Amino acid sequence: MRARARLAALGLLFLLPAAALEPPRTLPCTIESSGGRLMVSVDLLDAFPADLQKQVSNGLMNVITVQVGLISERDGEVTALYARELDVLYDVWEETYGVTVKDASSPSGRRLVFDSFPALHAFLTRPRGVDLGPVESLREGGWVVQTRVELNPVSRELLDRTRELLAHPATAGRGGGPSRSVLGAMASYLLRGSDPAGEVHVFRSGPFSSAAVAPR
Amino acid sequence: MSAPPPAPRRSTGRPRLRPSRFELEIAGALVLAAVVPLLASMWLARTLTRENLEVALNPRVVEQLESTPGLYRDLFQARKGLYVEQARGILRGLPSDRARLTEFLASAVERTPRLRRAAVLDEGGAVLAEAEASQPNPEGEWRPAPARVEIPEAASRHLPAGAVLECTFAVEARFFVELSEARELGEVYQSAEALRSDIQRSYLRAFAALLVAWALGAGLAGGILARRTTRRVSELVRAVGQLAKGDLTVQVEAGRARDEIAGLTRAFNSMVREVREGRDRIVYLEKISGWQEVARRLAHEIKNPLTPIQLAFQQLEARYGGLGPGGRDPGFERLLSDAGEIVREEIGTLQRLVEEFSSFAKLPEVRPEPAELGEYVEEFLRTSPQLTEGADVEVQQGSGPCPVAIDRALMRRALSNLVRNAIEAARPGRARVYLGVARARERAVLTVADEGPGIPPDLRDRIFDPYFTTRQEGTGLGLAIVKKIVLQHGGEIAAGARPGGGASFAIALPIAVPLDPPLAGS
Repeated sequence: MRARARLAALGLLFLLPAAALEPPRTLPCTIESSGGRLMVSVDLLDAFPADLQKQVSNGLMNVITVQVGLISERDGEVTALYARELDVLYDVWEETYGVTVKDASSPSGRRLVFDSFPALHAFLTRPRGVDLGPVESLREGGWVVQTRVELNPVSRELLDRTRELLAHPATAGRGGGPSRSVLGAMASYLLRGSDPAGEVHVFRSGPFSSAAVAPR
Repeated sequence: MSAPPPAPRRSTGRPRLRPSRFELEIAGALVLAAVVPLLASMWLARTLTRENLEVALNPRVVEQLESTPGLYRDLFQARKGLYVEQARGILRGLPSDRARLTEFLASAVERTPRLRRAAVLDEGGAVLAEAEASQPNPEGEWRPAPARVEIPEAASRHLPAGAVLECTFAVEARFFVELSEARELGEVYQSAEALRSDIQRSYLRAFAALLVAWALGAGLAGGILARRTTRRVSELVRAVGQLAKGDLTVQVEAGRARDEIAGLTRAFNSMVREVREGRDRIVYLEKISGWQEVARRLAHEIKNPLTPIQLAFQQLEARYGGLGPGGRDPGFERLLSDAGEIVREEIGTLQRLVEEFSSFAKLPEVRPEPAELGEYVEEFLRTSPQLTEGADVEVQQGSGPCPVAIDRALMRRALSNLVRNAIEAARPGRARVYLGVARARERAVLTVADEGPGIPPDLRDRIFDPYFTTRQEGTGLGLAIVKKIVLQHGGEIAAGARPGGGASFAIALPIAVPLDPPLAGS
């Protein structure tokens, strides 16, 4: 019961921002069943800019969040939702791309290293085998897969570091310095959240039924 | 005997929860005065915040910060390229004699800057020969930067195919620390840039909160200050209302302030006090007039039969004295003699009483003439030897003149009564009397004090009533006469206690305004 409520809340968050943004684009995807699980592979190439290599090779942390949801076409209810956060950092000494993947299976993150940009690009743009729950959850009627990709949202950690910068401007975010701005401290306290600051892209697949799900 | 006058009643200045209209008007004006600059300040804060953020988050600055890790990347690539070139240079001198390989590598490590280790490895990574720097890195902490080059024609150098030369150079560790800091700073600025509008809103809210808190504080302080003034005005209004209802005892606490409200309060208190004193004076004089009439009639009724009684008794004594020795009865003669003494003594007492009643009933009108009070007291003592012989009199003169307008004879009578009372109070001992003359504001104060038993506080208001006395032989008219004389002079008299014991009477007389001196020749 609690899991359903949590899913509904996440689903609402998943759907609400999309409603305020551009209309969903078509999502190329492959839907299969494997071991009784509904596995989805999507193509997110259109979500990333053409100069992605330049962007992710700048030596700063790039955050990409991907949410894939299974939505009932009849009532719009989110039945399953998969979300993951990718922290991409290019190591300018080793000249490799380090990616920390955080999702339900590894909340604290698992680290992957890519020696080349093409390998990273393939990993980012073509997520494979996204688990959307048991195939039996596909009841009668049509279903769609919706994907929401956000590039460089302001993470909680970055928000905290920005608040620290406002509170201690003289130490420029190093923290713990003696200088403290009264107005900055108040502004930092009041800076609680943010509007979606990064690029948000929403994709939606064409409708399909349970009969269309082919076994892998 | 009259009831004691009511004590002046202070109008309480306790703060009320309900604000007066005056307070509301002042508070409203303060709020209005605060809100207008507040709005202007908010506009200014918005503009300042936006402009400051434009400076702090200048796109060029953010761009430069973001590109800093790229600069390190270029630096590292250049270093790596340099190290590879240096490794190739070492490779070129690699001896073909394998036995000299280690010696050569040691020499290369010694002469090549930042080279910490040189090794020849086979294809599997096994070390065939190596040399390491023995001295610590001169540039402090370092991180290894290996540069690996394949050894061409390895067989000719008696080395296995696929052998490589690996040179490990030292890269300053500080580069990586700086890179980490630059990356963190770049990310924070990138985040701040993304949150620009949120940050601006936060600053604006913080500024608004500070301003509102400041305005509330100022309003509160202003309200408290205004309340101090408006409360006193309200108290004055209430006191005036009580005065209008005939309450002459009302007084308002003026406090220690020196502003106009305090001045108005003091003037109000003074006015009410003068009105009350004037009324009391009139009431007392009317009462005294009534008692004077009673005294006059009593004196008349008592005085008339005294002479016939005295004559009748004298005839009785003369008739009995004319009898011969045979006709006298010794017992009756003794009785007649005792009765004669009693009759004469009582008639004398009654005659003195009649004189006092007559004196009280016939108090003349005051005819004031200018006098210096201190000099007058000295003169009084010089011309009253019967008083100074019966007591030790000490005179204390204050600084400054005390010009007054007095009827010398009446004031002498009043002063005599007080000094006589002081002497009587000290009996059977010798009295010590203190006469003081001082000036207090617009009054000349004459004090008569003694070291007697004093006057109980509950009797101080009654001792000036006619026929009230605590002495068996007193008539109760002395202090009444004194008070009437003082009141007729426009003054006041009050009884109190002398510090150190005894009674004290203070007569306050108005200071006489000196007449302009006559012009020369006029």
